[in-house]
Amino acid sequence: MKTRRAIYTLLLPLLFLLLSCDMEQEVEIKLPPYESQLVVECYLEPGKPLRAVVLESVSYFNEPELPLVPDAEVFITHQGRTIKLPFSPIQNKATGKYYTHRKNEKLNLQPGDVLMLEVKDKKGRHVTGTTTIMGQVPIEAVEWKFNESNKAYLLTSYQDDPDAANYYRYMVHRDSLSNSSQRDFVSSDQLTNGQRVSYGSGYDHEEGDTLIVSLFHIEKQYYDFLSSISDARRANGNPFAQPSRIVSSVQGGIGIFTNLSYNRKTVVIEK
Amino acid sequence: MRLPAFAVYIICLLSFLAPDVFAQSTYTISGYVRGTGSEDALIGATVSVPELRIGAATDALGFYTLQLPEGSHTLQATYIGYETTTRTIEVTDRDLTINFALLPANSQLREVVIEANSLQQKLNANQMSVETLTTREAKLLPAIFGEVDLIKALQLKPGVQSGGEGASGLYVRGGGPDQNLVLLDDAVVYNASHLFGFFSVFNPDAVESVELYKGGFPAQFGGRLSSVVDVKMREGNKERIGVTGGIGLIASRLTVDGPIVKDKSSFVLSGRRTYFDVFTRQINRIQEGKEDYNPIPDYYFYDLNGKANYKLGEKDELFVSGYFGHDFFGFNDADFQFGFDWGNKVGALRWQHKFNPRFQVNTTLSGSSYQYNVSNKIDVFSFSLTSDIRDVALKTDFSLILDKGHTLQFGAMATRHNFTIGRLNFDSDDDRISFGAGNDYEATEAAAYIADDFQVSSQLSLNYGLRMSAFTSGGKTYGAFEPRASARYSLSENTSLKASYASMMQYIHLVANSGASLPTDIWYPSNDYVKPQRSQQVAAGISHLFGGGRYMVTNELYYKWMHRQIDFRDGANLFVNDNLEGEFLFGKGESYGNEVYLEKIKGRTTGWVGYTLSWSYRQFDDINGGRRFPTRYDRRHDLSVVVLHELSKRINLTGAFVYGTGNAYSLPVARFAFQDVQGKSATVVPVYSDRNSFRLDAFHRLDLGLVLKFKPKRGEADLTFNAYNAYNRRNPYFVYFEQVKDEDDNETLGFRAKQVSLFPVIPSVTYNFKF
Repeated sequence: MKTRRAIYTLLLPLLFLLLSCDMEQEVEIKLPPYESQLVVECYLEPGKPLRAVVLESVSYFNEPELPLVPDAEVFITHQGRTIKLPFSPIQNKATGKYYTHRKNEKLNLQPGDVLMLEVKDKKGRHVTGTTTIMGQVPIEAVEWKFNESNKAYLLTSYQDDPDAANYYRYMVHRDSLSNSSQRDFVSSDQLTNGQRVSYGSGYDHEEGDTLIVSLFHIEKQYYDFLSSISDARRANGNPFAQPSRIVSSVQGGIGIFTNLSYNRKTVVIEK
Repeated sequence: MRLPAFAVYIICLLSFLAPDVFAQSTYTISGYVRGTGSEDALIGATVSVPELRIGAATDALGFYTLQLPEGSHTLQATYIGYETTTRTIEVTDRDLTINFALLPANSQLREVVIEANSLQQKLNANQMSVETLTTREAKLLPAIFGEVDLIKALQLKPGVQSGGEGASGLYVRGGGPDQNLVLLDDAVVYNASHLFGFFSVFNPDAVESVELYKGGFPAQFGGRLSSVVDVKMREGNKERIGVTGGIGLIASRLTVDGPIVKDKSSFVLSGRRTYFDVFTRQINRIQEGKEDYNPIPDYYFYDLNGKANYKLGEKDELFVSGYFGHDFFGFNDADFQFGFDWGNKVGALRWQHKFNPRFQVNTTLSGSSYQYNVSNKIDVFSFSLTSDIRDVALKTDFSLILDKGHTLQFGAMATRHNFTIGRLNFDSDDDRISFGAGNDYEATEAAAYIADDFQVSSQLSLNYGLRMSAFTSGGKTYGAFEPRASARYSLSENTSLKASYASMMQYIHLVANSGASLPTDIWYPSNDYVKPQRSQQVAAGISHLFGGGRYMVTNELYYKWMHRQIDFRDGANLFVNDNLEGEFLFGKGESYGNEVYLEKIKGRTTGWVGYTLSWSYRQFDDINGGRRFPTRYDRRHDLSVVVLHELSKRINLTGAFVYGTGNAYSLPVARFAFQDVQGKSATVVPVYSDRNSFRLDAFHRLDLGLVLKFKPKRGEADLTFNAYNAYNRRNPYFVYFEQVKDEDDNETLGFRAKQVSLFPVIPSVTYNFKF
């Protein structure tokens, strides 16, 4: 990310003279009529209640309201049993996270289990998706090393399975999972298949820091979705980028239906 | 590989034609036309025998050939901006070599020529769809930051579009910037731009002229679909040492030329360097230690050009040309050391041999490389990424004048390509992390061609030829015939009809998915999976000379089909990817249009008006739902008006106005909120629909220039004043959508579109000198 930012700032020497001029202006863009699509976010986690968010996409210049879809019905099917998640919007005040559909039932999910999602509303919109429960990939080591300024870098290592195409999401939180992550990225094993992989950091940490390191073993469809989200966001405002289509894991709408299988380690940085 | 069969064909053809070569009933008069005081070839000068109404124009080397019967004849050499010279010769029983050295028409700067080719010659030439520009012409045109740029000046010609504000990329007749064959003294230049394409790599002081072929490609050119940019470096003065230079707003230039061995060999050495970094380092030093101050990154580029020639004898001459250019960018702070550098190295050695005045050969050994390196060191971790392309090429081009109006061009070339794609290293100082990736490829490209320029009658001339090309890489070989043909028919002395057909192949491909020319764009060979690109173009035109030969109007219609065009998947990873092929998409394209060009080259007021009406589309199964979409540079209307006026011998005024339909552009039509696993705060994700379905506002701009010549104690000098974007138009560079937030509680209030422009009015002054 820093590399990319630095490349763009290559323009700076040329433009620094011009920055005082107002080179940005508001313009009116007429957008074509847009037919809203259902947007679904549903992450399954072993031992956790079932939660989903169903909203709509809206024309870009619409008023900034949360586009709820109260008549949407959400069903999850596991081992032949279909469970309906009723519409019951709620926001967790601690995390700020909201859900529109939920059921306090916990499923016994095992790696390899295939679950199906179905969302439909009265407009006839119909979204489906499937997910296969992933197995954890253990974090083998979380190490750190101090420099002369008493700052430490973090090194997280794991072993990639050579017999499968694997995708990962790596997150580091400080003190609490409720805080924004310090580091968050996805990667594939395309260049590291079967290797012991280590993720490093800058000298960002101090003695006494509590760090929560999470390694998610994710599905390819989740990797593609997250990558396309970040590409699409980057394309808005970058004259060099091509527009990017959202690669959804669901059919008939936009969104992601996947499961979260992660290995998590909490460490306190000590000398 | 059918190359040997093709070679046999050429040899057979030659043996068949050989008796004609020597059974001459007339004698060949040939030689060079050059300017006095320099050894610069005068390209397009006329050598004629007025009483016989016979004449010929000099070629790119300043060489002419005439067929004359026995007797006494008066030869006349003319070139605009030079005094006409006449010589009386006696043709008896042999061929003659007659060289001309023309005196400049006045004692001001030597390059007073506005247009090399006279309109009459242009009208009579077989070649259509070609634009010629001399350095002098480019130097008179207003330029951004006062930096004269031949490539950007070409964008003012019809059928040629820029990629965007300030960019030096060329989009020729609906083709991409990757489809231009850029040659510097016959050697390929791979990335012909500095600083994201804002400047081209060609230092104007080192360049004599540039020719741009948009269609009707001569058979000796191949390897790219859309255009050939043929840049010729100038030769040094064979009589005395000279120094030329310029001091500008952002860069300075210095050129030294002169004889190595008087009248036998000469050299020219030219350098250019920018100096933003001198100022930015100073600013950084002043601001050092201030809180919240982000240092300005270091950036500069330089170019070095050199050329030398050596006359081995009456029949042989050697030319050595070289170009080295590099861009450097660096950004350092306490825990972040980022470096990025890129550049071209180009060298060519050409041997010219004349068997006799009718038969000559040019053989060129050349090398070219382009490389970029990105390196980053964050604390103990270091990262480097390198890609490059390295070529060695050998080519030979024969030119043979036959009787009965035939001139034969034939030759062959072979290039060895080496590619390094995304060579990545990632290490830590303590060796806990060590990781590498990247691929190397090799390829061989070869071609042979033959073409006949046939003057059927005084009204009709034809040029027909065949190029056969082949390419092999990774065990896969491709070959193709590329037929070329053009014809001219003179309706009257002042009106010509022209038509052409050209088939082109492109075996190496630029891996780039942005609209700009980025230094990280890399080349990739055709292989099992990536097949070569192909295009076919037909063009027809009419040219009419009027106003006593002072004006010419040309209208050309073209249609181009492009097969196996390349684009990349959404979100393709083109930087570090060991399976780059998986990101390629293949489709087709078409472009068509009409170009009108009115030019005036004589008198105190000269210039041109060019107008293009055009369409350019691509179609890919996996882009835009398989529907056809306009390319980003699809420009319905494109107008250029260029006026150069000589107010007095000391003052030149220039103006250039451009207008173009806005670029086709993709914008999000919708958005949705994405919460993610953490759900800390939802983010807005844009939803894009059809590719390039929006249009930016129309682009228009007026540039003004004033050249004030004066005579210092020694030599000559001028001050060039420029006003780029004189009426301060905010031309759109791109548009983005912004979230408007309440400053107090960060609540989203709404969304709006913002348009970003790049350059306001930019005044500049450049001091040029010569002694």
